[in-house]
Parts: sequence; structure tokens; C-alpha cells
Amino acid sequence: MISSKSKTRGDSPVIDVHNLVKHYRVADKKEGISGSIRGLFHRSSRTVQALRGVSLQVEPGEFVAILGPNGAGKTTFLKLLSGIITPTSGTAEVLGHVPWQRHDDFRRRFALVMGQKNQLWWDLPAAESFRLHQVIYRLDRERFTRTRDELVDLLEVGRLIHQPVRDLSLGERMKLELIAALLHEPEVLLLDEPTIGLDVVAQHAIHAFLRRVQTERGTTVLLTTHYMKDVAALCRRVVVITHGRILYDGTLAEIIDRFTTHKIVTLDFEQPPSDATVASWGYSCERDGPQVRLRIDRERIAETLPRVLAGHSVLDVTVEDVPLEDVIADLFRAGREPEDEPPT
Amino acid sequence: MMRYLQIFGTFVAASLVRDMTFRINFILECVTSLGWMGMNLAFYLLVFSYTSEIGQGSGWTKAPFFVFLGTGLIINAIVQAFFMPSAEEFAEMVRTGGLDTTLVKPVDAQFLLSMHRVKFSAFANGLVGVALVCWGASKADPAPSLTAWLLFPLLIGCGVAISYGLIVMLAAATILMGRNQSLYDFWFYITNFSRYPAEIYTGPWGGPLRMICTFVLPILLVVNVPAHTLALPIRAGDVRLIIAAIVAAVLMLVLSRLTFQAAINKYRSASS
Repeated sequence: MISSKSKTRGDSPVIDVHNLVKHYRVADKKEGISGSIRGLFHRSSRTVQALRGVSLQVEPGEFVAILGPNGAGKTTFLKLLSGIITPTSGTAEVLGHVPWQRHDDFRRRFALVMGQKNQLWWDLPAAESFRLHQVIYRLDRERFTRTRDELVDLLEVGRLIHQPVRDLSLGERMKLELIAALLHEPEVLLLDEPTIGLDVVAQHAIHAFLRRVQTERGTTVLLTTHYMKDVAALCRRVVVITHGRILYDGTLAEIIDRFTTHKIVTLDFEQPPSDATVASWGYSCERDGPQVRLRIDRERIAETLPRVLAGHSVLDVTVEDVPLEDVIADLFRAGREPEDEPPT
Repeated sequence: MMRYLQIFGTFVAASLVRDMTFRINFILECVTSLGWMGMNLAFYLLVFSYTSEIGQGSGWTKAPFFVFLGTGLIINAIVQAFFMPSAEEFAEMVRTGGLDTTLVKPVDAQFLLSMHRVKFSAFANGLVGVALVCWGASKADPAPSLTAWLLFPLLIGCGVAISYGLIVMLAAATILMGRNQSLYDFWFYITNFSRYPAEIYTGPWGGPLRMICTFVLPILLVVNVPAHTLALPIRAGDVRLIIAAIVAAVLMLVLSRLTFQAAINKYRSASS
């Protein structure tokens, strides 16, 4: 593990998880007809270690991004926190409740939105599903109407709530899913890839919406995503999970400070330098006409730039951090993959 | 309790809106189920053109037998209308992980999963069933007593409860198996035995089958007990069957509840 730190800024974190482990037994099926026939008589299986001991504390009002490659255990973690599945071992409390005991008091106080699963009735307008939520969460008419109208106005979907859900675009549907999840004003909101497959406009609308709702209501939000734009727009704290373990827990800014050794320097030359000149600078580079992009050690930028600029007419210089996507990808790769139990 | 009634009312309203949205589908469902029921009726009319009684000395002459058929239609209509559509969706929800969004709701999961869809077209057969029961009872000799009429809805309720318990247990098996798309087929096969009077199950095969389908998997109690109570005179031995039906209904509800809860705790969800 590169880094793991737990945060306890107050006495009672909203989410308090200790050494959570989840193992699955999955069938190991051989391909083809002969494999299927063999499988009828002898079925091999193996244990997948989805979570290998995750500990995490989240304070009220935090907006935390859970990042990790596919199969890292992010969704499993959210399913455990929402009580959908039970862990193999370990403890967790969300809002003072053990999630998998599924107390109604607990379930009334949180919401889960999954980008790839819908909770709205497919053949009916979302307004019908909203009404069901009103009854299920025991919302009085006035509160329900006020909250619904506020959320509908924020996302500008007034004309969509009376249209069958199956006729909506993915982005429109996701906006209505979010409204459904927020009608009962949950204290904890678990979001599993809510912007998956959405265009940039829809992503921006959802970012703005979530930011506003979270700020105004002080909702604690856990967000899993593969889009760094989601993270940059919404989250200060980032938790990176790979292979069922927390690899990093800290601020977004700190990720770049801790896990990058260089910056990207882009130079627009009036007259492009020769290849030999660029090679003499000693840094890896990309060239695009008169533009040269160099990866320079962070500590050596001050001494390197004057040398590069000397004797050249430069129209523009920019110094940037390595793109967040690249840092995270490097971080994912840094997580060593432990072997799952072999088939039995 | 009031909230659950309100939720169920919302399910009923939503199902009605859905059925009205797909009008042609709704009409086709009514027509096909009425057609199937009509063919059944024609078949039994044909049978009664050859014989006056099903099972010699059993008492199941034409009028009582049509009470039996009507009772079966009423129970089946209730099951098909209120529970079966949800159970059929349930198998798919388990396979695809759609169950996840249901389990996070602050409502009893069994209630939400087993009663969220109402199939209004199933009521068509139920209405025919009521008509058959009324016609058969009016022709029965002796006419049903007041006690029989009072017991009839209670025993219909027991039959529905036994069927519901069985459906819930089959649905719970879906959670453990991950895939159980033959749920409806299996239901059809095992309930097939309940569509005939218990008296026909005699002899070296029929006797044990009758015992199994009465005391192990009590499907013979579902239609037989209410129909027998209304259509035929109540004798001393019949009281034991009435008690058996009530006990079986309670046991099936308790057993199905325990099975469902155990299965939900084993639920592992599907990958996203």
C-alpha cells in the first residue's frame, strides 16, 4: 500500500468502516460444449476477494470520491455501505446503523444512485415513481411538492417528469434518478458512476446540481467514478481503491504533489528548434509543429527553463501539472495485484 | 399498516396506468386467458356428456364440479393478478442486480418485491369464476348452508395464502440459484395437481400422491377445501381438512417468510 490514512476530524463520523472484507465464490466455467458438459459433473469455483480489509471514516458533509480501476471493489464497497450485501468480516456503521441489518430508520436517511441501474418505473412517467417515493418515505404532501419542484427547477426537467421513462435519453433519465434519490432529503448519498455514458453538457449539469445540493443541505456524498472531471469538479477528498485495498486517502491536490515527479512544460517557438537541440535538453518530449511539450522534473524547472529559452524566440510558455487522469492511471498500475484463490 | 395500504394503492394505480398505456396488450391478455378458460369449460362439459359424476360416489356431479372449477378460477385469478407478475419480474431482478434498488427502500422487501405489480387482465377469469360458483351453488342439492358460505371466503384466503407462500419460496430459490427463469413453469407443474378433486387420487399411485400433496406440499388443500365446503355437504371428516387448510396457510406464510429472509441475507447482487 502506498498510503492509507484514516480521517477523524470529529467524534462521530457519518461513515465508520473497519477492516471490511468481502469474498465471493464464483463459478470457473470452461469454454465450449465439452467444458459445459464437464461442468455438469464437476464444477470448479474460485474465491474472488472483492474487498481485503478496508477501513475508512467519513465526516458529515464530506464529498468523497472513490476511485479505482474496474473490479477494484468500489461498487462492492457502496453495496456494503447501503446494506444490499453482507460482508465476509469487518464492521461498518453508517449514520450509527449497521447497514446490512437494514433498519428502516437507516434506510430512510440515505439514498443510492447507480448509473447502470434504474429505480424509476420504466414504462411510466417519473412523476408516478416520485409519488411512490412520497408514500414509501412518508413525506407530507407540502414537503414532497416543495422538494420535488426545487429539484426539478434546479435540473430544468419540468417537461420531462410526465413523459414515460423509456422515452428519455440517458442524461435525462439520470437527472430524474437523482431527483428520486433526493426527494426524502437523505443525509448520506451514495453515487455509483452517476455520469457514466453522459455527454459533457449533461455531466456539467449534474456536477452543478450535486455541488449545490451538497452545499445547501450538507449531505455527505460518496461518489465512485471513472471520470476525473467529476472528481475535480466535486470532491476535495479522494480515496483510491485497487484490488480491494485502499491505496490512497487524501486530498486531490495531494495526489498530484505526492505521486508526480515532473510537470508538463509547453513552449510555442517562433522558429522550431532542431531535433538535435531538443534532444540536448535531455527530457522526453512531444512535437507538434512549432510547439514542443517537455516533461521536466519538478525540482529542475527553474534551472532548465532559462537554458531552453536561451537563444530561441518563444511566443508562449505554459507550465502544468501532469493530467489527473495520467496520475491516477499510474497510481492504479502501482497497486500490485495479489492472486485470488486458485480454482478448486 | 396504513402506509403499506397506501403503497399498495400506489402500485395498483401505477399498474392501471401501465395497463391503460398498453391497451392492445391488455385486451389480448384478457382474450387469451378467457379463451383458455373457455376451452377448459368446453372440455368439462364434454366430460359430463359421458358421465354424471367425476369419481364414483365422490359427489362431484356437474353443478358441484363447476363450483370447484369456479373456485379454482377465483384463487388463480387472485394469484395471477397480485403475486405472479411480481414473481416473474423478481427472477430477472435477481439475475440483473435490479433487486439492489429495492433493498435500500425503507419498506419490507418481501412486500415490495412480491406485490409491486398488479395484472388487471387476470380479473376477467376471476369474474367468470364467481359466476360459475354462483351458478353451481344455486344448482347444488342440498343448497350450501350459511356456515359453508361464511367459511368459503376464509378458505379462499387460505388457498391464496398457501399459493403465495409457495411463490415466495420459489422466488427465494431464485436468489440462491442466481437464475430461475423456469419459476413460472415449475409453479404451473406443481399446481396442476390442485386443479382436480382430491377424490380422484386413489390407488397405489394416487393415494401416496394425495398424502404428499395434502400434508407435505399442501397444494391439494388450495382449491379442494373451499370448493368441497361450499359445494358438498360438510361431514365430520371435512372439519379436519378445514383445520388443515388453515394450519397449512399459516405454516406456508411463516415458512416462506423465513425462507425469503434467509435468501435475502445470501443475496450477492450482480456486477454493475
